[in-house]
Amino acid sequence: MMGFESVGAYAPRYRLTADAVTDAWGQFHGAGISETAVPAGDEDTLTMAYEAASRALEAGDVDPDAVSHLFLGTTTPPYEEEALSPRLASFLDLDDALETRQFAGSTRAGVDALTSGLEVADGTVLVVATDAPRGAHDDEIEHAGGAGAAAVVLTPDGAGTVTDRAERVSPFPGTRFRPAGEAETTGLGVTGYDRRAFTETVTAAADALEIDLSAVDAVCLQSPNGKLPYRAAGSLGVDSETLQAGTTVHDLGDTGAASVLLGFASALEDGHENLVLLGYGSGGGATAVAVDATDVAVATTLEGRETLRYGEYLRVRGDVTSGEPDGGGAYVSVPSWKRTIPQRHRLVAGRCEECGSLEFPPEGACPDCGALEAYDEVSLPGTGTVEAATVIGQGGAPPEFVEQQAREGSFVSAVVALDGPRDDDGTVSTPTQVLTGADETVEVGNRVEATIRRIYTQEGVTRYGFKMQLAAE
Amino acid sequence: MRDVYVIGAGQTPFGSFPDRSYRDLFAEAYGATRDSVDSGIETDEIDEAVVATLGVGGRQLGLSGPAVTEHVGLHNVPCSRTENACGAGGFAVRQGVQAIKSGMADVVLAGGFEVMTDLSGDVTKYWLGVSGETEWERLTGTTFSGVYAQMASAYMEKHDATKEDLSRVAVKNHGNGAKNPKAHLGFECSLEDAVSAPAVADPLNLYHCCPTSDGAAAVLLASEDVVDEYTDERVRVAGTGAASERVGLAQRDSYTEISASSEAADRAYERAGIDPDDLDFAEVHDCFAIAELIAYEDLGFCDRGEAPRLLREGVTDPDGDLPVNTSGGLKSKGHPIGATGTGQVVEAFDQLTGRAGDRQLENPRYGLTHNVGGSGGATAVHVFENEEVAQ
Repeated sequence: MMGFESVGAYAPRYRLTADAVTDAWGQFHGAGISETAVPAGDEDTLTMAYEAASRALEAGDVDPDAVSHLFLGTTTPPYEEEALSPRLASFLDLDDALETRQFAGSTRAGVDALTSGLEVADGTVLVVATDAPRGAHDDEIEHAGGAGAAAVVLTPDGAGTVTDRAERVSPFPGTRFRPAGEAETTGLGVTGYDRRAFTETVTAAADALEIDLSAVDAVCLQSPNGKLPYRAAGSLGVDSETLQAGTTVHDLGDTGAASVLLGFASALEDGHENLVLLGYGSGGGATAVAVDATDVAVATTLEGRETLRYGEYLRVRGDVTSGEPDGGGAYVSVPSWKRTIPQRHRLVAGRCEECGSLEFPPEGACPDCGALEAYDEVSLPGTGTVEAATVIGQGGAPPEFVEQQAREGSFVSAVVALDGPRDDDGTVSTPTQVLTGADETVEVGNRVEATIRRIYTQEGVTRYGFKMQLAAE
Repeated sequence: MRDVYVIGAGQTPFGSFPDRSYRDLFAEAYGATRDSVDSGIETDEIDEAVVATLGVGGRQLGLSGPAVTEHVGLHNVPCSRTENACGAGGFAVRQGVQAIKSGMADVVLAGGFEVMTDLSGDVTKYWLGVSGETEWERLTGTTFSGVYAQMASAYMEKHDATKEDLSRVAVKNHGNGAKNPKAHLGFECSLEDAVSAPAVADPLNLYHCCPTSDGAAAVLLASEDVVDEYTDERVRVAGTGAASERVGLAQRDSYTEISASSEAADRAYERAGIDPDDLDFAEVHDCFAIAELIAYEDLGFCDRGEAPRLLREGVTDPDGDLPVNTSGGLKSKGHPIGATGTGQVVEAFDQLTGRAGDRQLENPRYGLTHNVGGSGGATAVHVFENEEVAQ
């Protein structure tokens, strides 16, 4: 059976505090939550999946080529139809001989992806849970709603082992649902019934385990808010510290399908080893997985770095912006975008067969020797140095970037000299945006590193590609 | 090869005329051009026409040359349109010169037009970005202000240049444009105004950016064989040079110079048999303030990094050693894309024939025009000489 090799987790830099929501609405319905993580205007569940997965692969020193299965769970994919996995695989440079599955339907989707990954007979399985639940602005699902992603690499030799598993279902309609075609998740709000649905179902799954929950370091229990998990403490037979050690809900909010795996990553980061993962999805069903997580590598980026006012929150989420204006934009057709995906997703450059110098994108005459169309593909490390930079202020963006600017404010557009793969390589330059926080500026000479964000959306198709961020000191 | 002379040049005012048609503007420029020919000229004496326009707004993208020449009654001549973004007009003049030098034509009309102010802000921004590198550069969220701002950031990092230096371009060019009745923004501005204007794309602010304008301008060129039929005041095209460069900034070897400009200038000087020192004035492509600084260096007015000093010392002021943009330049006179290059030649013609009014320089002999497409993807440079002053 598969074991746990490594775990990665990511949450966006923005935070919305309970106080900010209270200021706006007079009340805050996210019980037990002090603040929630908010995706940036150019982030979504796919880009967060990349952030978590790349951290998991790096933490475990796992070669992306070795990944044989990619299982992804989310309740809020950017597209309800159209698979996310092929693009995520491309971002991560996974092999195209890849088995992919996408899980949805309830917040249990992340744990569903994990348990399905555990069933794989052989290979390297990358499991990713990513989510950003939303509800009506005055609804508890919205107030509680956070954002984040977690990823797990499973291998036959993984250090962490599953010691027990159980699943239970029980029909509880109406506690949390999103009708077809709707953007907002809702529930009937029948308080006692909702609590019963959660408590009875998770307890049934936990009771089916042979182990005693009171003996574990942390129970990573689905956390739709910061209070409901603790209402199950009695029936589960655990104390509140054990539950608190396995959740990120108080600081990130309800992370939906990513909730349990984010709690898992957080517990590992804190040194806990003897764990139970307890996923729950409305409908309802629960899955319990007992794990001995000794020596499982973990890398997380979960800290908030910028607190939003409520008005800024509405902007960043695109709730009060008006989308791409009429008037058209620079038209890069989807087929021509597809042609450049290796460059957009992975900075695949060319090495001139004649003279060995680098070109990005690898097309046209070699900039050094003038040879035509003779490049060997090379992957760049994704680091570089700013050579020229500007801040595009309000009104300065072309139409296809007006929505990004409305959501995120001024942005930095720069020319960056990308490092080559070898020490003796020169650099090769590319235009790029550089992501900045409110307190950050970009100067010529700054070191930067690549990540993946939404570039823009046209004709309903979102183009994802690299952007740079200031390198860690 | 035969010498080529400018026998007439004229333009509409540059400005905001959203209710005028591009044909109407072109007709006005054509009329002014004909009127400027000393001995007069009839339409049927013109052998060929070259028309510059980007087609902002999407108006008449195909056959945009005949659409305006036929409108003014110039029938049955070879007519073509040049497109090199903001540098199209300079290239229209160059093609006219080539047609005459080759012997295929004796009189050529080189004109240009653009209508930019009748569009919504969003549509304008779309069109302002179409001449950059659209597959990569534009998709970082830039239009030209952003790309020139990147050049400014690199220049200020490399050389001793400040926002005050950028602002000095605006102060000088507005001072000149205030004396030009054809200028779009014909008012003076103080250094303080120019330094404190709202940011557009850091480090460039509003006063470091030219306006979008409507207008048309035209030039009549004639061979040495027929020039005497039209004028006694012989303004010769002493030299012309042009070059291209990679369209996207990131692809270039340097972000602080435009190799198309330095190559074009070298060729124009060589053909004219002069050095930059011989120039009496220049009209340079100051679409953004940084572009004028870089132009000084590309055109050999000073060494690399010395452009701020020229501005600080007033070398390029109207009373300096080498007045630059006496018309007001793109910054103050305006920038109706297709009309800009031929509009520069109108100023050169007016200065060399004593028609520049309050802006008139004293007996200039050599004048240069420098017209750049995009952020430097194509440049055309011309050197004009008043042959009488030479004697």
